[in-house]
Amino acid sequence: MILCESIDTLAMAYLDDELAAEERRELELHLTECTTCRAHLDAERAEHALLRKALVAPPASDLLRTKIARALDAEDRVAARAERKRWSSWLLPGSAVTAAAAAIVVFVGMRPPSPHVGSVASEAARQQSRTLPLDVQGASTAPWVKEHFAPEFIPPVFLGTGLSLKGSRLTAVYGHDAVLLAYQADSFALTALVVRDVGDDDLGEGSEFQLGNRTLHVIQAKDRVAISYVAPDHTGYMFFAPELTVDELLQIVVASDLFQHR
Amino acid sequence: MLAVRPNQPKRTAFERQALVHTDALFGAAYRLTRNARDAEDLVQDALLRAYRFWDSFQQDSNCKAWLLRIVTNTFINEYQRKKRSREVLDAASAEQDATDGVLVHAEANDKRSPEKVLMHHSVSDDVQRALESLPDDFRTAVILCDMQGLSYKEIADIMECPVGTVMSRLFRGRKLLASALREFAVAEGYVKPSTPTTPPADGDKPIDLETYRAAKARESKS
Repeated sequence: MILCESIDTLAMAYLDDELAAEERRELELHLTECTTCRAHLDAERAEHALLRKALVAPPASDLLRTKIARALDAEDRVAARAERKRWSSWLLPGSAVTAAAAAIVVFVGMRPPSPHVGSVASEAARQQSRTLPLDVQGASTAPWVKEHFAPEFIPPVFLGTGLSLKGSRLTAVYGHDAVLLAYQADSFALTALVVRDVGDDDLGEGSEFQLGNRTLHVIQAKDRVAISYVAPDHTGYMFFAPELTVDELLQIVVASDLFQHR
Repeated sequence: MLAVRPNQPKRTAFERQALVHTDALFGAAYRLTRNARDAEDLVQDALLRAYRFWDSFQQDSNCKAWLLRIVTNTFINEYQRKKRSREVLDAASAEQDATDGVLVHAEANDKRSPEKVLMHHSVSDDVQRALESLPDDFRTAVILCDMQGLSYKEIADIMECPVGTVMSRLFRGRKLLASALREFAVAEGYVKPSTPTTPPADGDKPIDLETYRAAKARESKS
């Protein structure tokens, strides 16, 4: 009998619900007549149940779910960035560090030397923000940065320093999206270069400062000095203010809300 | 602070249709890789890949099967290569540890902590060890069918082989797994040795519905 000969195949397909309706009826009818095949199918069914039970696996951990969500966030960021690419005006050569340093030098080199804080420096700073090739200036800067750099990005605020955001320009540092933020106070100017997705060590040359669990670096670029910081979300910041001493700059940077509540 | 604006419609669709299968995917990955750490890496890789190719997913098809295909392919292509290089690293560092100080014998370790022995020799561990003894193709077929409830056709699509091949892999995989589980259970005294519940099938007989259907058609003609 062909059904008995093929019982291995039939029992398996029956239990996996893969038989056609007619084949199933035919087998069920046969099982009422053939005790051997019925015993075989019962044994298979028991083994089947056992295997299914044995194979039950633990559920995914919350940590895994979080990691997945984070990976998807990063992917969304990449997609959003590709869309924004057209805003990037120029790309600097070299490694992230030297490129960033070059950006500082290029920028700084545009303004006349003014070692003293005072009305001259103040005027120079004002001129500087006017002559900078900024994409945006004035009150609309913050919303513009939000729209073109990153929707959730909030430009740092320097508490108690009189610095206010005057303008911004999108740029790129070694292929990383970056934004240049120009701040100005009465007597000095400060520029922040914000670079996305940098490694912890990319901006880590020079001497190191600890602020709680955060690490800041003082980067030397020729005779110019910048303070760098890589946030836990891999956003790199570089601050420079040519009118100020390193100590003054450091004090202003650590007073920023980056180190207060973010 | 740089939180992301999610690519909203795509992200929402993906969360609703794909991420609801995270537990199932982890389960499959856990049985494929046989350890939780690798399973997590595999699921994360596969889901990221799925997200990248979400546009190519046919909305009217079985999303879970599509995702399992990605998990399986990722496992075959990427994970095993990574695993090999990690094994080399692990071996190297084990060698380092051994030459650095006292070599701790695994059994001596066990004796120190009876709870650990119990934990590590759980029944679930036996399943992982039993799966270890299966060839990859058999294991994959069993996981996709008995854990995930996919149809022969869906498994055939994933494994890129005919349905008949799926059936024979499944049949032999189940037999091997059941007998390996029985052996472990006997070895550790959970069950007394006994003859297998199912007598081994005739090894030469093909496990294939098509063959049966063809024989059937011939029979009805004559």
